[in-house]
Amino acid sequence: MNDQTMTPEERAANLKGMGSSRKRVEDVRFTQGKGNYVDDIKLDGMLFGDFVRSPYAHARVVSVNKDAALALPGVIAVLTAEDLSPLGLHWMPTLAGDKQMVLADGKVLFQGQEVAYVVAEDRYIAADAVELVEVEYEELPVLTDPFEALKSDVVLREDLEGQTEGAHGPRKHHNHIFTWEQGDKDTTEAVLAEADVVAEEMVYYHRTHPCPLETCGCVASMDKVTGKLTLYGTFQAPHAIRTVVSLISGVAEHNIRVISPDIGGGFGNKVGAYAGYVCSVVASIVTGQPVKWVEDRMENLMSTAFARDYWMQGKIAATKDGKITGLWCHTTADHGGFDACADPTKFPAGFMNICTGSYDIPTAYLAVDGVYTNKAPGGVAYRCSFRVTEAAYFIERMIEVLAIKLNMDAAELRRINFIKADQFPYQSALGWEYDSGDYHTAWDKALKAVDYEGLRAEQAQRIEDFKAGKTRKLLGIGLTHFTEIVGAGPVKNCDILGLGMFDSCEIRIHPTGSAIARLGTISQGQGHATTFAQIIASEIGLPADDITLEEGDTDTAPYGLGTYGSRSTPVAGAATAMAARKIRAKAQMIAAYLLEVHDDDVEWDVDRFAVKGAPERFKTMKEIAFAAYNQAIPGLEPGLEAVSYYDPPNMTYPFGAYVCVMEIDVDTGEWEVRQFYALDDCGTRINPMIIEGQVHGGVTEALAIAMGQEIAYDEMGNVKTGTLMDFFLPTAWETPNYITDHTVTPSPHHPIGAKGVGESPNVGGVPAFSNAVHDAFRPFGLTQSHMPHDHWRIWKIANGLGMHG
Amino acid sequence: MDLSDEIRIAAPREDVYRALNDPDVLRECIPGCEELTQSEPGKLEAKVVLKIGPVKARFAGEVTLDTSNAPDGFTLSGEGKGGAAGFAKGGADVTLTEDGDETVLSYTAKVDIGGKIAQLGSRLIAGTAKKLSGKFFTKFGEVVSEQTLS
Repeated sequence: MNDQTMTPEERAANLKGMGSSRKRVEDVRFTQGKGNYVDDIKLDGMLFGDFVRSPYAHARVVSVNKDAALALPGVIAVLTAEDLSPLGLHWMPTLAGDKQMVLADGKVLFQGQEVAYVVAEDRYIAADAVELVEVEYEELPVLTDPFEALKSDVVLREDLEGQTEGAHGPRKHHNHIFTWEQGDKDTTEAVLAEADVVAEEMVYYHRTHPCPLETCGCVASMDKVTGKLTLYGTFQAPHAIRTVVSLISGVAEHNIRVISPDIGGGFGNKVGAYAGYVCSVVASIVTGQPVKWVEDRMENLMSTAFARDYWMQGKIAATKDGKITGLWCHTTADHGGFDACADPTKFPAGFMNICTGSYDIPTAYLAVDGVYTNKAPGGVAYRCSFRVTEAAYFIERMIEVLAIKLNMDAAELRRINFIKADQFPYQSALGWEYDSGDYHTAWDKALKAVDYEGLRAEQAQRIEDFKAGKTRKLLGIGLTHFTEIVGAGPVKNCDILGLGMFDSCEIRIHPTGSAIARLGTISQGQGHATTFAQIIASEIGLPADDITLEEGDTDTAPYGLGTYGSRSTPVAGAATAMAARKIRAKAQMIAAYLLEVHDDDVEWDVDRFAVKGAPERFKTMKEIAFAAYNQAIPGLEPGLEAVSYYDPPNMTYPFGAYVCVMEIDVDTGEWEVRQFYALDDCGTRINPMIIEGQVHGGVTEALAIAMGQEIAYDEMGNVKTGTLMDFFLPTAWETPNYITDHTVTPSPHHPIGAKGVGESPNVGGVPAFSNAVHDAFRPFGLTQSHMPHDHWRIWKIANGLGMHG
Repeated sequence: MDLSDEIRIAAPREDVYRALNDPDVLRECIPGCEELTQSEPGKLEAKVVLKIGPVKARFAGEVTLDTSNAPDGFTLSGEGKGGAAGFAKGGADVTLTEDGDETVLSYTAKVDIGGKIAQLGSRLIAGTAKKLSGKFFTKFGEVVSEQTLS
């Protein structure tokens, strides 16, 4: 048993621990169609719910006639706000301190808003019954522009009329939600007034949608005998959902079991609480039967949480040789009909105050005004930490705009303004402490990898050829150096609905030396079962293949705040390492007892404790595990398990350098990504293969957002992009090849130095694509053009610059 | 959405005008029309089944005619509600020009649509609207010429 023939390196490799490109254990079931998603759950006597939704963006609901629907055989019930109001459930709290109608209470505020909930014996009958519910509406004026909304006499939220104070301070207008200010306004404005150069621009980050392949849904099952409510759902935060359901419904929290089964992508869309969950729970409590509700694609795109929709007015000041002296930003944030943004409570605009980016900017000021409009509520972090992608897009556009103003190379402008490696931990002007970074090294590596000088020379030649009429294609070089802020977060300043944003892990070692670990997070495709087992494998020396990982069942997993904002590795990953270390500490005592030496006389060696100076005398972790269950060790409890709740001391700050090289046809507006290089520094790398997969997925979503994806409304408040025919979701056809690369700058405060990577490629990818489009047209006079850069809009840029003759 | 077209009908202008105000003729000519009644002079109520792409719904609507300019033309405005499928509202200016024994009917219409039918995108809506108006006027031309001949 005491195997001495293998080298420590061979033993470490056998563990498939941190640094191993271990294959994803989840894929065994996913690639065979054996995943278990919400819609796969079928319970005895299960009923189906479906919504009657408003065709109007703003209207009074005069009457709802259910008679025809109720007369349809198989229809069990039709719920309206009137039915829910005696229970106090016709409105629900949002994550942003606002409240939201569960079912239309007198009026509707966006197209697709839930008006009535039909419960029927099968989903086809439910859909037929939806058509039979007669709703009489009285149209009201529609506001789809946040700037107009702030001037309009039309009151969107009559329920808030007269309230001059909101959840985040004073409201300046009846369609105004909050103003959030960060930084030093006076100093920043003084710097702007005295600066050699000030570049000013409006940067719009359009409204889009996470659009996970699996839409939102749930199955609520109330057992009237035991009084227990089981709620299966597509929840990115199952424990928080349990608490919220308990608070809203009045069912005691111990009587609620929330289960997130396999989830087919979340990207922020599945963080919030939706009307479908509340109505399904109510319907199950009333009928005593399980009730399933699953959105269709149009419902998902038009009613559950959108992302972005930030109008960012920026001013950036610099000396004439390009040293940035100040940054000013005023953002008008379109939140739709209800403020249902998913942000930590104290951050109504998320971490938008990371908008100083990777640069050493001595003074800065940020103000964000939230506004109600007749659009769907939401404002989630679509594959980014709260509003970080907006912040990164803003600063990376402002840098380019400043480069134009200074007539400087944008790569050089970045280089001379980067925070230097020896400045970390770095205190930013808007209040963050960046944990670690080495931006110059990453930047130089990226520029060298793509032969930046060569690209610029090629571009210069291309411009000459274009002007000489030899080509109709332009070359754009899109640069980005982004810094993220992820891993929310320290309980001292991060909570959601009062719940501190710690996370947790519980590990039990079985007598034969295998283990189960349970976490407060939930994978939606990230591969937690693969990577978290690798952390444990490296920490306690048991093979990752012998470790089962479970998440998403609130009856068994320890409490945690879930998976979004790249927080799983920074927070739950830290908890996992800390729980494993507790186990290792006890294992050390057991080993010392078995080896008949003092605790301090044994040392850790990959998968065993060995006597110091006598490596041939050791106990493997497997032997120690068995001893924990069969030996009476004085002063020690039997068993080997541990739990850790981890409150991170700081956020983590992953960063990266991306370069996109794009060919653009000025006559058709068509684009082609010739090269995309992504260098990510996410600190310690747990599984390089999974990181590469994350980068591929995130850059592809960035491509979608930058180059075509949007939730567009017409003047009447109709969603114009409510199907996948109009909403751009890239397929293999549109997706280019990516080159991935990395540097490693560990986080100094994280137990294993990891920072999180899932969202970096989206944060960095969007400005890289957008900057490539802008860069192609820069020599012809373009400063700023709003995303998405679809063929039509690119054609319009060329046309507007007089390039069509 | 704006629509416009011009149709030549082999019938005198008076006949065309009369037919356009005849609920029986309209019921026969409007594609998918299930019911059409004149509630009061100048006011029509209709139930029409429409299929636009994947959405099929019964629209209940009311149309008001302004005939102050008759028989050179008239204007109409109306609204139709299709429940979960959405709604449509709009107006049209119709002019009737005599050309020998025949009449040239031209119209410009402005239609706003909302709800599910609007979300399916204008590419479907515009095509469907053109097809339906084409169907209507072909049938209308036939019916009116028949009436004139008989």
